[in-house]
Amino acid sequence: MSDGASMQEQGLAALRALREIGEVEVGLSEKECVFSDNKVQLYRYTPLARSAGLPPLLICYAMVNRPYMLDLQPDRSLIRELLFLGVDVYLIDWGYPDGADRLISLEQYICGYLDRCVNFILRQNSIDALNLLGICQGGTFSLCYAALEPRRIANLITMVSPVDFKTPENLLSKWVRHIDVALLTQSGNVAGELLNLVFLALMPFRLTQQKYVNLLQAQSDRAQLENFMRMEKWIFDSPDQPARAFREFVQWFFQENRLVRGELLLNGRPVLLKNVICPVLNIYAAHDHLVPPSASVPLGAHIGSKCYEALQVDVGHIGMYVSGKARKLVPPAIVNWLRTRQDAL
Amino acid sequence: MLKPQAGWQASMLLKAWDDYVTACQGVMQRIQDPNANPGAAMSLPFFGAWQEFAQALGMRADVLAVDGLKPEDVMAQFMPALGHTREYQTTLQRMLELGSQFQRRYAEFMQHGADIGQRALQAMQKRSAADSSLSSSPAAAYEAWIDCAEQTYAQAAHGEPFARALGELCNLLSAFKVERGKLLEAFARHLDLPSRAEVDSLHRQVHELTAALHEVTSRARQPGPKRRKARKPAGK
Repeated sequence: MSDGASMQEQGLAALRALREIGEVEVGLSEKECVFSDNKVQLYRYTPLARSAGLPPLLICYAMVNRPYMLDLQPDRSLIRELLFLGVDVYLIDWGYPDGADRLISLEQYICGYLDRCVNFILRQNSIDALNLLGICQGGTFSLCYAALEPRRIANLITMVSPVDFKTPENLLSKWVRHIDVALLTQSGNVAGELLNLVFLALMPFRLTQQKYVNLLQAQSDRAQLENFMRMEKWIFDSPDQPARAFREFVQWFFQENRLVRGELLLNGRPVLLKNVICPVLNIYAAHDHLVPPSASVPLGAHIGSKCYEALQVDVGHIGMYVSGKARKLVPPAIVNWLRTRQDAL
Repeated sequence: MLKPQAGWQASMLLKAWDDYVTACQGVMQRIQDPNANPGAAMSLPFFGAWQEFAQALGMRADVLAVDGLKPEDVMAQFMPALGHTREYQTTLQRMLELGSQFQRRYAEFMQHGADIGQRALQAMQKRSAADSSLSSSPAAAYEAWIDCAEQTYAQAAHGEPFARALGELCNLLSAFKVERGKLLEAFARHLDLPSRAEVDSLHRQVHELTAALHEVTSRARQPGPKRRKARKPAGK
């Protein structure tokens, strides 16, 4: 059979198989909502192994995507791997903000919702400090929080988190420079669909064409197609962004780069990275098109902590959550690092 | 006539505009031609008066007779907003102006896309010439095309002109939405529906109350100073 005819046959088989796949399920690990505040929910995951004896780990994910990416399916779940290693995992779900949340400020998200989640965990476990894992935008939030409340964070892990927003490789940063974000948010929340388009526009040919051509060529296996559909569901499940918090995030971080310049104020207090004094593990992806390594790597030079480690993983932004390579490397690296810190006390 | 640059939506709009202008010019010619329009002698004095009035206001009264008419020229010809609907007229004029600007910028932005496509094709031609295996494998050729397209796109997307064009488009749309919101706000008031301003005001109050509640709850949780026991009143 010719190459073209073979491709056509494979494509038809994949399309037939795709038609048979119904709604895919995500976020299957057992968890309980232990605290809620407006649309924000704090989940605690059911342990899957004997406790490693570490302080609870709070995961602070980004607001621009849904956190179930960290528990996409049983064999592609960062959270599940952490649970198997005996970590007590909590997760903040920011929910789907709507028109009623358009006036909520970034300060309220970081010094309000995040702070109340931290306080709840500290009270529930009768401890003074917890471990914090901030991912992507959630990593930036976590850095701000750790700078403001250093005594409540025992160890901080940042994963694919931007710190310096104005590096030459940062395409998003270049694009938002010319956008009047105050005008954009004047008519309300920023639609998740708009964010989806922006993310697709970063690599349009790969993300809107090649991905689907590859799917039709290479996969007609049901399990693989379901994996693809779970990812597809997550990619386009972007919540609307609350107008005020979004405006402040874009202006203060992307346009003015206040975090590394030491010019950020939250709750009337300066957010200074030199006040991050807890041990920090910075995990970043070598081929990240959303948060290029150059945006994450500078963290070590700005924080006050004397205990700083960086871990580069040879994957892209999404691969950090779901790739086999990251799955084998990242959860053990996190737990071993936390154990070492615990032993050092 | 306007020449559409790129983008079928922009082209369609500009084509529709051209057709409209041509039709208007035809009507004006017929009005001014006594052979074609026996009533033209009656129309002309009115048209002359209009020209004088328009010129006195600094407007171009002959705008419809000008070839190569642009939408923004016509926007400038509108009568100044007057009367009891002045606010609505202003908003509508602004929306028309923004819509017109958006179409022009969109056409320019599509030109960026067309240039990227052309450069990607040139890169693909070079690669095909250097690698003969591409001609025998559609899959390999497709991969090569995606590589060329993505590299060419990235080069342009990181450039200042692309970012500026994207920003201008976004800002024009945002401004349009703000104007549209003003109209919707007014309509909601007239229909006795809750308007955005009213809902925002309520949300603000709820947020303030919630913040106050959090403050009180937080204070109540903090261990306060031990209270002294009340003294027994003397003599009892």
